[in-house]
Amino acid sequence: MTTLTDRYVWGAVRTVPERQRAELDRELRERIGDAVDAQVEAGIAPPDAERAALLELGDPAGLAAQYIDRPLQLIGPKYYLTWLRLLKLLIAIVVPCAAVGVAIAQAIAGESIGGIFGAVIGIAISVGVHVAFWTTLVFAILERTPTESGQRGVDVAWTLDMLPALPEPAKASRLAELITSVVFLVAFAVVLVLQHFVGVPWVDDLESVPLLSPELWTFWMPYFLVLIAAEIVFAFALYAWGWNWWLAAVNLVLNVAFTVPALWLLLTGQLIDEQVLEVMKWPWGESAPIIVAILVAVLIAAAIWDVVDGAVKASRRGHSTGSPARGAATSGTSFEGSAR
Amino acid sequence: MNLDETTVAHLQELRRGTVVLACLVRLRTPDYGYALLESLNGLGILVDANTLYPLLRRLEKQGLLTSEWNTDEARPRKFYRTSPTGDALAIALMTDWRRIDDALAGLTTGDES
Repeated sequence: MTTLTDRYVWGAVRTVPERQRAELDRELRERIGDAVDAQVEAGIAPPDAERAALLELGDPAGLAAQYIDRPLQLIGPKYYLTWLRLLKLLIAIVVPCAAVGVAIAQAIAGESIGGIFGAVIGIAISVGVHVAFWTTLVFAILERTPTESGQRGVDVAWTLDMLPALPEPAKASRLAELITSVVFLVAFAVVLVLQHFVGVPWVDDLESVPLLSPELWTFWMPYFLVLIAAEIVFAFALYAWGWNWWLAAVNLVLNVAFTVPALWLLLTGQLIDEQVLEVMKWPWGESAPIIVAILVAVLIAAAIWDVVDGAVKASRRGHSTGSPARGAATSGTSFEGSAR
Repeated sequence: MNLDETTVAHLQELRRGTVVLACLVRLRTPDYGYALLESLNGLGILVDANTLYPLLRRLEKQGLLTSEWNTDEARPRKFYRTSPTGDALAIALMTDWRRIDDALAGLTTGDES
């Protein structure tokens, strides 16, 4: 045996537990010796034969893993689905909770709108990474934990309750969504315009007093009205094509375009007319920052919810149109996908 | 013979179990890894060293083979022999193999008629 073989065998046995080393060492030497002999018989010079034999055996760590049945994947098929389900569930629950919590805390602390956004995004990313890492670590350990033969180890039984709801209503029932959206958006636009002329007619002091600052009409009011028009166009696009990744991206842009300026105007005191604030006797002492914080959190949460909802629907649809055969077997909704 | 990837994968899958059966039958007379590899391939039961060596270990771990080191020669060799459990399994596998063969034969003649 030469140093090359010794090094190869060491490279393999050092990756297995101590008590299995002696046996594996002997077995590998036998196998390498026989392989070298075969090469020599085929007419190759001994030093070259050894190199060729070792090259053919490949990475010693991989060879050792084959011998002792060690998994070469982080999470194998046994746990993969359970891991994926749990991870999706945890991310969907934990990240929004953390983001909203941080948004409330920062708003109470009187942070600027930019600071709140920065903190929320930072926390969302770091919480997401932590959740993904620790969940994966636990499953990677499970994967490597020996179980009684025939047992599946830790297991979550699959039940009928886990069946997903059918994806995306077909175009016909999307009409209801379109009508709801358009009615709401038009009403919103009408309220924005009317409040300027009518005020709050059922409160004496506020009759014919604009609720929102009149200065907003120089730029922001037209901006929001254009945005509402864009939302209406978007609602029609959704009706025509259903959710896809492009529309989900547009949805994100629209949400940011609405929420960020609205929050900025609210927090810098440019949104509500001063006369109105006086009538409302704002600020209401101690509770004022908390009310503002809750308002901010609700606005942010609503925007995040809307964006995530769009992305989820787009991804489901992506799956169902990606495999028409499966879709056709599960529901009639895919008629539309395959007809296109 | 030039086979495409799909064919190769299916052939491998079809042969996987037969290698176990062949080892269990062949090792009723004890032998060591390389000799077994040579004789199986010589008989037309095509198996790769990377498959065979780990397989022998696994079968031993399952109690289907027993092993003994032979140190008479310069190079110590691990001789495997089919255990009584292994022998029982070989008989069961062989019975099933014949049954499947018959079934497939029935299927093909049914096709032709």
